[in-house]
Amino acid sequence: MPLVKLSFDKSVSVMRCKHPLQFSILTALLATVLMSSHLGAQSALYSIVVESPTMASGETMSREHTPDGRNLSPPLTWANLPEGTREIAVICADFGAGNPPPWVHWIIYGIPATAPGLPEGLPIQPGQVMPDDIAGAIQGHNGWRRPYYRGPAPPLGTPHLYHFTVYALDEELGLGPRLTREDLLEAMEGHIIGRGELVPVYERFGSPE
Amino acid sequence: MAGDRTKSKEQTAGMTRRELLRSAGVSVAVGASTLGVVTSYAKTAQQSGNSAGSEEAYEQLTTEEGQLLEVIADHLIPSDDSGPGALDAKAVRYIDRALGGVLSDSLEAYRAGLAAFQRYCRSSRGGDFMELPHNDRISALIDVETGAATGAGAGFVGSSAAFFSMVRGHVLQGTFGDPYYGGNENFVGWDLIGYPGVRTAVTENDQRRLEAGELRPYRRSAYGWEEFEKATVSAAKKGLSHAD
Amino acid sequence: MPTRLPGTDVVIVGLGAAGGVAALPLAESGLSVVGLEAGSRLTRKDFAPDEIRNNVRAWPFTVQKAQREIPTVRPNRLTPSTQGTIHPMMNGVGGTSLHYWAQSWRLNPWDFKVVSEIRRRYGVSKIPEGSTVEDWPFGYEELEPYYDRVEREIGVSGQAGNVNGTIDRRGNPFEGARSDAYPMEPLRWTGFIEQMADAAQNLGWDPFPGPAAVNTRTYQNRSSCMYHGFCNRGGCHVDAKNSTAVTTIPRAEATGNLQVVSHAHVTTIDVDRNGRVTGVTYLQGGEEFFQPTKFVLLASYTYENVRLLLRSTSRSYPIGLSNNHAQVGRHYFSHHQGASVSALFPFDLNSWYGLPAQGVAVDNWADDNFDHADLDFVGGGNLWVYSDRRPIGAAGMNTFGLVPNWGSAWKAFVAENADRSNTSYIQKTTLPYESNYLDLDPVVKDPFGHPVIRITAEYKENELAVAEFMQEKMEQWYREAGATEIVRGGLGRTMGVSTHAYGGTRMGDNAETNVVNRFGVSHEVPNLGIAGASVMGTSGARNPTLTAQALSWRTAQHIVDQWSTLAD
Repeated sequence: MPLVKLSFDKSVSVMRCKHPLQFSILTALLATVLMSSHLGAQSALYSIVVESPTMASGETMSREHTPDGRNLSPPLTWANLPEGTREIAVICADFGAGNPPPWVHWIIYGIPATAPGLPEGLPIQPGQVMPDDIAGAIQGHNGWRRPYYRGPAPPLGTPHLYHFTVYALDEELGLGPRLTREDLLEAMEGHIIGRGELVPVYERFGSPE
Repeated sequence: MAGDRTKSKEQTAGMTRRELLRSAGVSVAVGASTLGVVTSYAKTAQQSGNSAGSEEAYEQLTTEEGQLLEVIADHLIPSDDSGPGALDAKAVRYIDRALGGVLSDSLEAYRAGLAAFQRYCRSSRGGDFMELPHNDRISALIDVETGAATGAGAGFVGSSAAFFSMVRGHVLQGTFGDPYYGGNENFVGWDLIGYPGVRTAVTENDQRRLEAGELRPYRRSAYGWEEFEKATVSAAKKGLSHAD
Repeated sequence: MPTRLPGTDVVIVGLGAAGGVAALPLAESGLSVVGLEAGSRLTRKDFAPDEIRNNVRAWPFTVQKAQREIPTVRPNRLTPSTQGTIHPMMNGVGGTSLHYWAQSWRLNPWDFKVVSEIRRRYGVSKIPEGSTVEDWPFGYEELEPYYDRVEREIGVSGQAGNVNGTIDRRGNPFEGARSDAYPMEPLRWTGFIEQMADAAQNLGWDPFPGPAAVNTRTYQNRSSCMYHGFCNRGGCHVDAKNSTAVTTIPRAEATGNLQVVSHAHVTTIDVDRNGRVTGVTYLQGGEEFFQPTKFVLLASYTYENVRLLLRSTSRSYPIGLSNNHAQVGRHYFSHHQGASVSALFPFDLNSWYGLPAQGVAVDNWADDNFDHADLDFVGGGNLWVYSDRRPIGAAGMNTFGLVPNWGSAWKAFVAENADRSNTSYIQKTTLPYESNYLDLDPVVKDPFGHPVIRITAEYKENELAVAEFMQEKMEQWYREAGATEIVRGGLGRTMGVSTHAYGGTRMGDNAETNVVNRFGVSHEVPNLGIAGASVMGTSGARNPTLTAQALSWRTAQHIVDQWSTLAD
C-alpha cells in the first residue's frame, strides 16, 4: 500500500498506511473528517496540530507507553492553538472498549496555555509534582479511577485506536481533582475553542502462557 | 549524579534495616526530580549486606519466592515516615504459614504468579523486579493490579489482577490480623490504625473513654485467653468439620 | 439397607433459628421429638474473638456439609450458571442463629397485605409486572401474639414504638401495635450513633434503636452483651446472643422430650403409597439410618428445604414432595441488601467495639410509610447505621477514590481514616416474580451425587428503583451528619446466594400457588410442616429471622393443637 498523505482545508493529522486494516481505518476516519469538513464551522475546531516524537496517527505507538513496556505517559506537542486559548486539556480514550465506550486511559486538565506540550513520563504517585512547564496541571480519574496515565492493553490480536484529544479552552476553569471524562466534558462545555487529535494504534501479539 | 541515594558500605554499616529501606527510596513523598534516579532495590540491599527478607527460613515458599514476596509486600505497605509496614509486621511469615494449611490451595497460584511477575518485569522493563528503578517498580505493580500485565512475556494464570488482589488481601491479613497467625508482629499493624485491641468485655465506661481518646490500647491476641479453643494455623482445610 | 430406628412423634429437620424454636412448644406438649441437625454442637469456648477465623475465612460457613453443596447461580434462563465459594447456611445446633447479627424485627402490617394495600391506595396497575406477590393468609394482628411469645422466650431487647395503639416516639412510630413492651431495653448507643440519630431528627425523620436478640441485662441467667466487637459472624463467648442453641433448644431438651441428633445429614423424606410421610433417611458417620415418625417439620433453611423436597420423589409425588402443583422453588427471592452506601467522616467514629445489631434505624422510607403516587415503584427500605469494625476490615476500607489501594499514600490515608468510615447495607422491599425460582442444578452435584440447588433470579425494575431511591436517602442522612465523601455501590442484578432468602415453599390459602397452608402445613402432604423464611411471601424491609421464628412457633402450636387429626 503506498503512503497516503492527506491534507484538508484544516488538516487534522498526517497518516501513513502500511496495512490493509489501517487502510480501512483510514478510510473510515477520512469519511468522518470529510463529513465534518462539510459542516463548515465545526471543522474549524480541529485546528490544533498534535504530534509526538514517539507516536504518529495510524501507526503503532511505542511499547514504552504501554504495559508491555514501562507504561510511561507519552510526550505530546501541540501547535496552532487558537487565539484566546487560556487553558488546555487532554483526554486519551479508546472508543473500542468500555461498557459503554469509551475506555479512558488518561485525562489531564488545567494545563497552562503557555505549555508547548506534555513531557514524557508524568507522575504516577501521589505527592509527585508536575514538571514546571505544566505546573498546575491535574490528572483526573481514568477508567480505573486512578489519576495517571495507563496505556493500551488491548486483547491479543485486535488493534485498537487511541485518541489523544487536545482541547483549547477560552478560560481557566479552576477545576478540582478526580474529574472523570464525563465531568470534564461537562465542565468544558461552551469553552472549547479548538481541538486536535493524534490517533496512534496499538496491538498485542502472541499467545498467553 | 543528582539525588544519588546509594550509600557506601561504611555509611550503611550500623543502619537499621528500616533506615536502609527508607534511603533506598521506598518512601514516596518526593519531588519529580528523583524520578528514575533512585537506584534499584536489590543494588542498595546488596551494598548494605542485607537481603530484603526475613531471617527465618520459609516453610512453604522457596527463599527466592519468599524474598520477592517480601519486596512486593514492602511496596504494598511500606515501612516509611508514617511507621512500620508489612515487612516489620512479618506479613509474609503469616502468608507462608497459611500456605501450609488453610491457604494450601493457593500455593500454586503464588508460585506461578511470582514467576510470571518476574517474567513480566523482565520483558516490559528490562530486569527482575528488585533491579528496577523505583518508579518502574511502582508502574509494574500498577500494571499487575489493573490486569494489564499479560502477553507472551508474562502470562499469569488467570488475570494478573486476580493475583494482585490475592497478594494484597493476604498482606493485609498478615499485617493487621491477630498475631497468633504469624503476622502483625508486636502489634505494629494494630498500632498503625489505632485499634484499641481485643477485649472480651467493653463497658459503657470503656466506650466513653475511647470516645474521649483516653482508652489505652490493650495488646493481646485472641488466644491469650485460656478459655478459647485454639484455631489451628497450619491445619489442612479439608477434613475438618468446623474449620480452624 | 438403612438401619431402622425406634419411631418418634415428630422429626425436626434442621435445628437452626426456626427449627430450634419449634422444638420448644412441641417438646413442652409432651410429644416425643427428634431434632436432626447436620452440624455439630458448639459452645462459648469455640468463639474466640478472632477476625481471621470468623470474617476472613468465613469460619461459620466452612462446615463440611454446606460447603459441599453450594448453590449455582444465574440471573435468568438465558445465562449459564456459576457456582460461588460460600454457602450462607450454617450447619450446627442453633444453625445460623449461632453467629448471625441477631437483628430481631417484626414485619410491619403492610408486609402482610401488600396486594390489597397497593390496590387500595394506588390501583392494581402499580403492582410490578411479572410479580406473583399475594397477600399473606392472615394479617399482622394474627401473628402478634407469637412475635410476643418468641421475643420473651429467646430474649429480644428493643424500644417499643406502639403499645396497644399508644405511640412512643422513642421507638418506631410506624410499627404494628404491640401488646407489650420489649422484654429488655435496647442496646446502648455510641456517640456516633447518637450523632446519626440527631441528624435524622434534623431531617424530620424518626430514628429509633433497633431490636436485637441480644441481652442488655442478665436474662434467663445468661450474661448481658459485652460489646466486644466480634459478634459479626462470630459466636457469643458469653451466651448473650440468643441463639436457639442457648435458649429454646436446651429448654426443650430439659423436658426430656427432645432428642438432639447432631452430624445427621438428611437425604430424603420418605412417604408411603398413600402419600403420607413415614420418616426421614439420614447419613451419620458414613452409615445410613431411617427415622420413622408421624410428622416431619422441615426447617433446614430456604435452599435446603426446597432441595430436600425436590429430591424426595415418589409415586405419590413424582416431581418432588408436596410439589404436585409445581410450586416448590417458586416465588423465591432474596433481600436486596446490596446497593450499599459508604461514607467518610472527618472525625473518628469510635466504632472499634460494638455489634451490628447496635444501631439506629429509620423506617420513614420503608414499605408504604410514604406516598408513592408520583414514584415509579412500590415498597421502600429500612435505613440502619451501626457500630462494627475490626482491624483487617478497617485496613481494607474504601479509599473513596482519594488514594491508590497500596503504597505510602494509601498507608497514611488508612492510618488516619481507619475509624472514619461507615457503610450501610439497606434492607429493601423485594417481591417474588414468575421468572425468579429455585430448582435442582442439572449438572453440579455434591460428593454424594445429589444435585445442588440452582438459583435463577435477578432484581427487577421495581427493586432497582427502590435501591436507587434508598441510596439517595442514605447519602442525605450521612451528609447531614457531616460526611465529606460518599461512595455508592452498584444497584446489582443477579440475586445470588443470600442469608436472607425467602420463598420456595410459600404459605398461602390457595393450594395452586402455595406449598403450605396458613399454618405452615403442606397443602398436599397431611403430616408435613415447613418452617423458615421459605414460607414467607414478602420480605419487608427488615431481617427475616424473628418472623420466621414466630411463624415456626405458630406452626408448632398448630401441630400440637391438631395432633390427633394430623398424626393419624
